[in-house]
Amino acid sequence: MKAYRILAVAERVLRQLWHDRRVLAFMLVLPAVAMLLFGYSFSGDITDIRVAFVDEDDTDLTASILESLQADDAFDVTVLDSVDDPERLLLDSGYQAVIRIPDKFTSLYYAHFAMGVATSAQGTIDLTLDESDPQIASTIKMGLADALMDLGEGGPVEIDTRELYGVEVRFIDSFAPAIMGLVVALISTVLTLLSIVREKVDGTFSRVWVSPVRRAEFILGYVIAFGLVALVQSLVVLTVGMSVFHILINGSIAWAFVCVILFAVGSVGLGTLLSALAQTESQAIVFFPLVILPSVLLSGMMWPIQAIPRVLRPLSYLVPLTYSNRLLRAVMVKGLAPWQEPVGFAGVLVFVLLTILLASVVLRQSAGERE
Amino acid sequence: MADPSVVFRADELTKTFGTLRAVDRLSLSIATGEIYGLVGPSGAGKTTLIRMLSGLATPNAGTATLLGAPMPAGRRTVEHRFGYMPQERAVYRDLSVAENLLFFGRLYAMSRARIRERTRELLELMQLEGHGQQRADRLSGGEKQRLSLACTLLHEPDALLLDEPTIGLDPSLRREFWNHFHELNGRGRTILLSTHYLQEAEWCGRVGLIQRGRLIAEGTPDALRRQVAQQSDREHPDMEEVFLILTGAAVAGGAS
Repeated sequence: MKAYRILAVAERVLRQLWHDRRVLAFMLVLPAVAMLLFGYSFSGDITDIRVAFVDEDDTDLTASILESLQADDAFDVTVLDSVDDPERLLLDSGYQAVIRIPDKFTSLYYAHFAMGVATSAQGTIDLTLDESDPQIASTIKMGLADALMDLGEGGPVEIDTRELYGVEVRFIDSFAPAIMGLVVALISTVLTLLSIVREKVDGTFSRVWVSPVRRAEFILGYVIAFGLVALVQSLVVLTVGMSVFHILINGSIAWAFVCVILFAVGSVGLGTLLSALAQTESQAIVFFPLVILPSVLLSGMMWPIQAIPRVLRPLSYLVPLTYSNRLLRAVMVKGLAPWQEPVGFAGVLVFVLLTILLASVVLRQSAGERE
Repeated sequence: MADPSVVFRADELTKTFGTLRAVDRLSLSIATGEIYGLVGPSGAGKTTLIRMLSGLATPNAGTATLLGAPMPAGRRTVEHRFGYMPQERAVYRDLSVAENLLFFGRLYAMSRARIRERTRELLELMQLEGHGQQRADRLSGGEKQRLSLACTLLHEPDALLLDEPTIGLDPSLRREFWNHFHELNGRGRTILLSTHYLQEAEWCGRVGLIQRGRLIAEGTPDALRRQVAQQSDREHPDMEEVFLILTGAAVAGGAS
């Protein structure tokens, strides 16, 4: 194993990337665009749900419910004096919910506590809800429940919340690590795959294999080149994330980079593996969706794995990005060291070892027997 | 096999792909300082033979020997001493001419200074001066072919395996390539090349005629012509006639 040959391969790969301005731009712009696009469209915070609030009781208590709802960014609250038919109102005026607090709500509410549970009628709130969009509907239900909880003193239950891992982790904060993993995996896998298939098509592969370079040196050269690329891409994601979305980073950025580079190494291995299954560039393109779709859909990137149907969940654990997400989130959001997230860390390590080992076996075959 | 003057050697070499015998119990021996041309129709097994001699393909039976080393097992001991030019114009499209040479030079442990020196020499030799910074995919077909040969010659190998080095070149360029070959040969390099231009067979020291994976005739161009003159009514057959009559005879011989 000779360092100069490894570096020769790394230098060559980097020079090739550098010369292809479109690929270069793609590599650098993709992380920024992905962060912006996913960041804005999946910021997770639903806003401006139109809600009609009808307060027929009009007391301090009901006023404070209204105040809570108005303070919530999710809602655009319109206050109405009365309503005859909430359903009509909802259908005609485009509200997504009509919240009606009937007369005597406040007195019933207090009486309920004063008199004891079983004896008196409860205060009731009428909620008319457009259920056609379940996400919006559940946001409304949650918002209303929050507002009732905010009544505080004398309320039915008080939830004592301790927020672990930071003041308030928003969706976007735990999204940034996933974007980093996704972009790095995508670029490293796809470009390694294309580059090696191209070597086969052009015949440079034969020239490489009669030269003194060893398979391990060849793979390491790719690993170094794409490790560097991964580092730059992570910097782009972090820069956009921090400057545009003010993402929160609790942990050590250095560890985050180590983990991202590790993941890039595995992705280079995966690209090399896939290259064995393609003889032409157009055959290679078939693998792109195969890499992208499971990563986006099953890795717990956009929604938690718990939200994936139970039947599909085992598949999630076959997707490398699942482990990268756990690992990077633990490191960046929770501020842990990599080994404090053993499942994610072990998953990424196994991914790296498995793909790199198999890749060198596969290279031996595609190097030797062709035609 | 121990003869140090033998550069390329095949002993009963066989390679099969499925049911196809690409190379069929083929034996030949090429000594230092020879230019040996493999001639034969496409699909005859020329490329497979060259790939086995270069260590890229593993024979199913028989042995391939390069500079005394069994291939592919012993290729590490001779890898610095031979150059291989694949049939494809095997250069990196997205690298410049100079970067292509830089990469291969570094794989052969050449210093950057030495690579620069050799690049200058080779670009002059190949009439590619001024193209050093040009990307390979902006070169014409002939220029790319010359770059491909330059990559093969870069580390000054003693033995050259050239697979159809002149394919697709115009006649004048082909002449130039052959001038290079003879010049290299004059400096003691041993060359094994394949071609399907029969005219080029005339320019080889020895010619091996390959058909269906077997060596059906071998000798200097003159000897082959004499052989054909005796077999047929032609008094002064040209190489094309030699080829047609010998391959035809092989077919007929195989049938009888």
